Amino acid sequence: MFQGRLSELIDDRPDDGVFRVSRAIFDDAQLFELEMKRIFEGGWVFLGLASQAPAPHDFFTTTIGRVPVMVSRDGEGVLRGFVNSCPHKGSRIAQTMQGNARLHVCPYHSWTFDSAGRNKAIKWKRAGCYAEAFDCDSHDLNALPRFEDYRGFLFGSLSAAVPSLSDHLGEAARLLDLVADQSEEGVELVPGGVAYTYEANWKLQLENCSDAYHFTSAHPSFIQLLERRKEQPDPSTTRSTWSDNQNWSETAEGVQGGSYSFGYGHALNWGVIGVSDALPLYEHAEALARRHGEARRDWMFNMRNLTIFPNLQIAENASSQLRVIRPLSAGRTEMRTWCIAPKGESAAARRQRIRQYEDFFNPSGLATPDDTVIYENCQRGFASRVQPWLQGYARGMTASRPGGNIFSDAIGMTPERGVLADAQLCDETLYHGYYREWARRMAGEVRA
Amino acid sequence: MSAPITRMEAEELLHREALYLDRGEWDAWLALYTPDALFWMPAWRDESTPTEDPDSELSLIYYRGRRNLEDRVWRIRSGRSIASVSRPRAVHMIGNVLVERAQEGEAAVSSSFTVHLHDVRAERSHVFFGRYEHRLVRGEDGLRIAAKKILLLNDVIPTVVDVYAI
Repeated sequence: MFQGRLSELIDDRPDDGVFRVSRAIFDDAQLFELEMKRIFEGGWVFLGLASQAPAPHDFFTTTIGRVPVMVSRDGEGVLRGFVNSCPHKGSRIAQTMQGNARLHVCPYHSWTFDSAGRNKAIKWKRAGCYAEAFDCDSHDLNALPRFEDYRGFLFGSLSAAVPSLSDHLGEAARLLDLVADQSEEGVELVPGGVAYTYEANWKLQLENCSDAYHFTSAHPSFIQLLERRKEQPDPSTTRSTWSDNQNWSETAEGVQGGSYSFGYGHALNWGVIGVSDALPLYEHAEALARRHGEARRDWMFNMRNLTIFPNLQIAENASSQLRVIRPLSAGRTEMRTWCIAPKGESAAARRQRIRQYEDFFNPSGLATPDDTVIYENCQRGFASRVQPWLQGYARGMTASRPGGNIFSDAIGMTPERGVLADAQLCDETLYHGYYREWARRMAGEVRA
Repeated sequence: MSAPITRMEAEELLHREALYLDRGEWDAWLALYTPDALFWMPAWRDESTPTEDPDSELSLIYYRGRRNLEDRVWRIRSGRSIASVSRPRAVHMIGNVLVERAQEGEAAVSSSFTVHLHDVRAERSHVFFGRYEHRLVRGEDGLRIAAKKILLLNDVIPTVVDVYAI
């Protein structure tokens, strides 16, 4: 049992203008166990896209915290989520990342389940001399206590005691709409997933997605490479959206973006890009404006880094990335990443999106490695308790306002809090939502 | 009429490329490539199938044109990329070299590789392994690499992978 108190981990005193986070929440093994229990295995977690199992009997596998999960579309086309574990002896039933199977046969003793999770066969049942009590138990796969689909984004919970998905997503659902509405056919994952690990806490990834402050410090080699490509143009290089907007540049003036925080820990960091032909979506700019209005269309072109707490991030900046955060231990994290794209875009737009993605987002690319290496630097520094409180949650304290502003109003979205920012403000108050939700979820396990 | 490219010639070039990468002799490494060279490391579609169409599927790296490798070398040398400083110590081991197809002045060469890396900063060692497919062409200055496809078999990347680690 963790002996410390919540107040020693999160110092949240809005009236005093103080918000601090202790280094301990990033490297304490007991806290990690509690996070798994309370946050990942005790609430809504993103599982995948409905388009990952498009046809009857298609399935894919993932995890909720440490628990293996299978999402399967049954013969009638209904998507369901199951614990991917045989009720007999616990073996994983589905062995592959994805596939199609009318029947799933357990590799250990051949118990068999259909694509709706129903037990269809127990090998040598009649000869098995089972007591009557055995038939009182269901032998079906364990359905996830909660499983819901929001516009093709699938979520599951190992606890039934959670709000509805609609309540959980709240107004942040408007930001998933901006992804889903980019095509009338919906969105898909480009074939080819990329996985990487880093030796640091999962919350570093949570924060970095929302971090406007690091870009010019952590990625100067990328920024200078963009300049190099402009000065010495070559048709074989990739044109980046970053070189077509200046919302990150210290010389940019006026409102360049900002942040929004939502209930249950969701957050958005955004920046103005404009309807730029550096974005593959440009081919549909006029159609999107006709279908959704100019304001929503313009938002689709904005840089948007969205976190749906605790494990989903959709980053639309240099390209479009869907990330799933999978914590492995306090000091180790696995990232599963894909290029997410509107269905039905032209071959040229898709190629552009993929090249921009590889350039920036891949662990073999020109930006992400500089982030993950820095996470590992941070993790080492977290070992110190000389001054346990970190000072990275203070920018924007006097700029944060309750509710929305003209930009969120434009898409009918009402966040809990918002910050309008010039290029240098680089709000850090959007992290407060992460840690308020973290504290709320951990409250049952850690003393106040 | 130029002579067919032999296995010995192919091995010589592959071993030389490995040595340049291991030593960080970047200009010499870049000079091994033709200006329009393909440098391609596919991602994996599933457990057993690498991605095959770089225009509709994701790759880990896909470059058509040496200029992109020059940009990567620029970044490695720049001192502005924390992931590239200090560069991990690396040694390439290349084996099973076969000339699979040879026609006049051109050959498709397959091989296997392991790259042992020691990341001094993180105090850990790691090995990447996989297969190469090189397309070699004979030019006026000798053999050059017109294409290098890297099939990385252990593709859960520990933090970072760069051109010198594969």
